[in-house]
Amino acid sequence: MANTAAKKSEPKMSRALVRQETIAGYLFLLPSLVFFIGFVIYPMVMCVFTSFFDSTMNRADVFVGFQNYINLFHDSVFLGALRNTLIIVIVSVPITCIFSLWVASAIVNMPPWATSLFRVIFYLPVVTGSVAVTVVWKWMFNNYYGIFNYLGKSMGILDQNINWLGDARYALGCIILILLTTSVGQPIVLYVSALGNVDQSLVEAAEVDGATKLQAFWKIKWPQIMPTTLYILVITTINSFQCFALIQLLTSGGPNHSTDTIMYYIYYTAFKLYKYGYGNAMGVILALMIAVLSAVQFKVTQSD
Amino acid sequence: MEATKTAAPATEQTKKKKKKVSPYMVFSTIVIILLAIAFAFPLYWIITGSFKTQVSINATTPEWWPSEWVATNYAKLFSRQKAPLWEFAVPFSSNFSKDGKDIIWWSGPQVPAAIRWLINTVFMAVASMILTCITSAMAGYALAKKRFVGRSVLFTLIVCAMALPKQVILIPLLREMSSLNLYNTIWAVIFPIVGWPFGVFLMKQFSEGIPGEMLEAARIDGASEATTFTRIALPIIKPGIGALAIFTFINSWNDYFMQLIMLSSTSKLTISLGIAKLQAENSTDYGLIMAGAALAAVPIIIVFLAFQKYFTKGITMGAVKG
Amino acid sequence: MKKQVSAILAAGMAASLLVGCGGGSTSTAPAESTSTAASTEAAAPAESTEAGQAADITLWTYPIGKWGDSESVDALLADFNAQYPDIHVTVEYLDYTNGDDQVNTAIEGGSAPDLVMEGPERLVANWGAKGLMVDLSDLWTDDQKADISASVESACKDSSGAYYEFPLCMTAHCMAINKTVFEAADAMQYVDAENHTWTTDNFLKAVQAVYDSGKTDVGAIYCSGQGGDQGTRAIINNMYGGTFTDAAHTKYTADSAENVKAIETLHNQDGINFDASINGGEEITLFRNGTLQMAFCWNIAQQTNSDNSAAGTTNNGDDILFMAFPTESGDPALCGGIWGFGIFDNGDENKIAASKTFINFMANSDETAKAVKTSTYFSVKNSLSDLYADDEVMNEYQKLMPYLGDYYQVTPGWAEARTAWWNMLQQVGEGADVTTAVTEFCTTANAAAAG
Repeated sequence: MANTAAKKSEPKMSRALVRQETIAGYLFLLPSLVFFIGFVIYPMVMCVFTSFFDSTMNRADVFVGFQNYINLFHDSVFLGALRNTLIIVIVSVPITCIFSLWVASAIVNMPPWATSLFRVIFYLPVVTGSVAVTVVWKWMFNNYYGIFNYLGKSMGILDQNINWLGDARYALGCIILILLTTSVGQPIVLYVSALGNVDQSLVEAAEVDGATKLQAFWKIKWPQIMPTTLYILVITTINSFQCFALIQLLTSGGPNHSTDTIMYYIYYTAFKLYKYGYGNAMGVILALMIAVLSAVQFKVTQSD
Repeated sequence: MEATKTAAPATEQTKKKKKKVSPYMVFSTIVIILLAIAFAFPLYWIITGSFKTQVSINATTPEWWPSEWVATNYAKLFSRQKAPLWEFAVPFSSNFSKDGKDIIWWSGPQVPAAIRWLINTVFMAVASMILTCITSAMAGYALAKKRFVGRSVLFTLIVCAMALPKQVILIPLLREMSSLNLYNTIWAVIFPIVGWPFGVFLMKQFSEGIPGEMLEAARIDGASEATTFTRIALPIIKPGIGALAIFTFINSWNDYFMQLIMLSSTSKLTISLGIAKLQAENSTDYGLIMAGAALAAVPIIIVFLAFQKYFTKGITMGAVKG
Repeated sequence: MKKQVSAILAAGMAASLLVGCGGGSTSTAPAESTSTAASTEAAAPAESTEAGQAADITLWTYPIGKWGDSESVDALLADFNAQYPDIHVTVEYLDYTNGDDQVNTAIEGGSAPDLVMEGPERLVANWGAKGLMVDLSDLWTDDQKADISASVESACKDSSGAYYEFPLCMTAHCMAINKTVFEAADAMQYVDAENHTWTTDNFLKAVQAVYDSGKTDVGAIYCSGQGGDQGTRAIINNMYGGTFTDAAHTKYTADSAENVKAIETLHNQDGINFDASINGGEEITLFRNGTLQMAFCWNIAQQTNSDNSAAGTTNNGDDILFMAFPTESGDPALCGGIWGFGIFDNGDENKIAASKTFINFMANSDETAKAVKTSTYFSVKNSLSDLYADDEVMNEYQKLMPYLGDYYQVTPGWAEARTAWWNMLQQVGEGADVTTAVTEFCTTANAAAAG
């Protein structure tokens, strides 16, 4: 943004040049704009528009004003989904960041081959893809012969099987755990590179001055990796909001709506209950939430 | 600059390593190894599981190593459903064909549907990657280097739209695709990916680094806009394009949601969707599912391992500029 | 060569004449007169003979026996195309988890299939009620009605008398027990193995006996999704004589005292677990691998399945005995499956006619026996009741067919009611009060039925 202001006052241009620049600019933008307006902006507008209608399959839409929104806030399933979504975001974002920072700082000092080996391994679940990974997790969490119950019992931690995905107390936790394994890959890669770029002489100087490892980290490394951390915060937040495949494939929002997220509930409303207007209203709410959150994060980034 | 920076600490690290081994380091190394085993386990289980017999995969005590290696799961996977290896439709033919479906002018031999799913996925990921890179590089260059009316408005719009999950607009998007006759075609998955403005944003950040004097000089030399872009801008932002390409490739490969909504017939599925369907249909037949999952995972992992360096670089660069 | 072709065509025509389907005609001149004759004789509507001779149609099938398996369906299609070479059928195989979503997105996306193979709960109560299906009254000739039982017929039409399904096959869903384990636990004394029935009291005693013998996971009220949910409905309805809907199929009555008692009894019973992590299919796997000792999601196709071990045995060789659901009255009401074809109204007369030709060929011709056997279930036609005469298991299973109960799945709001049902079971499993949960279920379901 600051750039824009600076450039504007730069050289003064002739009117013809301005016109030429404008035409050229839009020509360069054209292909991108076609897709952007056609498949992002237009559906977004339609989403807001339809959210004021009672819209379903095979019937003309009926205008209902804000009724969908009013219903939403009386819909206990939606409120539960909202809560679950926030829990997922609030729990998984900090854990992802801390965990990946810890792993990165542990592996960055290893010999290069080991660093790169571990980096690859932690990135594996990302490339394997959530669907394939989920298949295994479903088996691992199985009530009767899953690996967690098997190991738990053979090591004497559990005295009876826990129905991980079938028990409202554990299901959301399991989802968050799987989400973690599929989302730490990228942050680890980023942190390894950021930590590798930290000026090592400063750290050593501090240590010579008698600073503890922790102090050295906090005072010297942390400020330097701050931009990376912010970026990781943004992407993991967006990722956590989008958590869908795990829920669709593992629990379908159950048991008793304990793992419903807004994302899944939109899908469910649209394709199981065919309430399109209602689903769109939910989409608008979610979009607003994310917009506010991004704005906050953007502000924080700018102020730093 | 970055290169020198990374090289220096690397040597220092190795030196330091020899100096002392603290108990904390031993502890952390052990934990990291255990974690690594846990992270690699799903993949291990998919691959070995795909070669197990039906009985041993459903055994109540886990069988850590297949007691008997069989290929029946793969045989079943490949014999289940067939689809033509490729199908080329007349572009836009669904708009004027009698039944609203594409007119296929060339379709390949019948092969196991799983192979076709892989081909669909690769096509989808590569096409999204290429289209995104081209459109974003052009748009990002224009946003960074051209002064025109509405630029800042547009840029703000892009930043706002970036954070928005695609899923929010799934219902209107689905209706739009069906009115464009694109529903149940791979393009219905590709176009929203290409429209997503992250690429434009990233390329704008990279394009800021193009020196204005070079562009000025080119203009004075009488170079056309197109020439200026391809000769001067492109070489400078090339690393950025590489990063964006890798980014888009991974994202579209894993974009399960759009695929689920937009694709339905057997010959149109992607590999993740195919596996999800396998799981739903045969939730009991874990061997078959594992074979499908292995087929989905192994090719991309091989690609990843082969281009590991570029992946890492791509991810990091995207972050630095993003 | 030419002679041969026309001979085959003539034979095909003759076949269609014999079964009175009158759907088939090809563009060759000599055949046309035959086909006209066929249509007048069978009094089939004109459109199905004159239109629909050449078309590309799509058939979406749910996994109904081997109808979910491309190899066997391809064999049937080959027979079909031998007779109707110009009707090209593309088949899509759906599953019960994503299938509905897929059909619904396809409808929303304007590319619904022409033909779909499923039961009345979808064809009649869901898509039919939404006005998406073609009325098949013309296929339901008087001969058909005479050959198909009244309860099946009534399930295939809606309250206004429009037929949205032409049925092919049916079965009764039942449950199964691990006979070997039951014997070891001395629980067989509670089972009438001869007639495959038991009383509610004996059922509970048997469960307790098996539980006491050390097999703590006896059965599971699975409720992760709708897969196999007829089993959970059937066990709960049968135990104390409750019903799922009223007799007129207008409202849901699962909150009756009988049902509440059944759910409470099951929930309090040792060895019966309300499991929100598995569905019917997964329950069967657990039953087969010896984890569970009884399965509520069972039918003849399961009984004869020999993918993992010999038919009628578990993976480790224990004997499986299929059973009716336990009742107090001794007269179980089994949920049936009635599967057949429906046609989506895509506005193309030619395709609709071709689809009707296809239905007639599969469900109403010499091919029907093969088509029914592909489903591994029983024919809906009385004239084909001896289809499996030489098959011992099938004959034994036929004992359960008289218990076939009311086909209540056509009650309005069915899709929502199903979803609410497993949600309700999940709540009970989480310890919610049964009466409250069931009442809430009925409120939701009846709201959907009314809307």
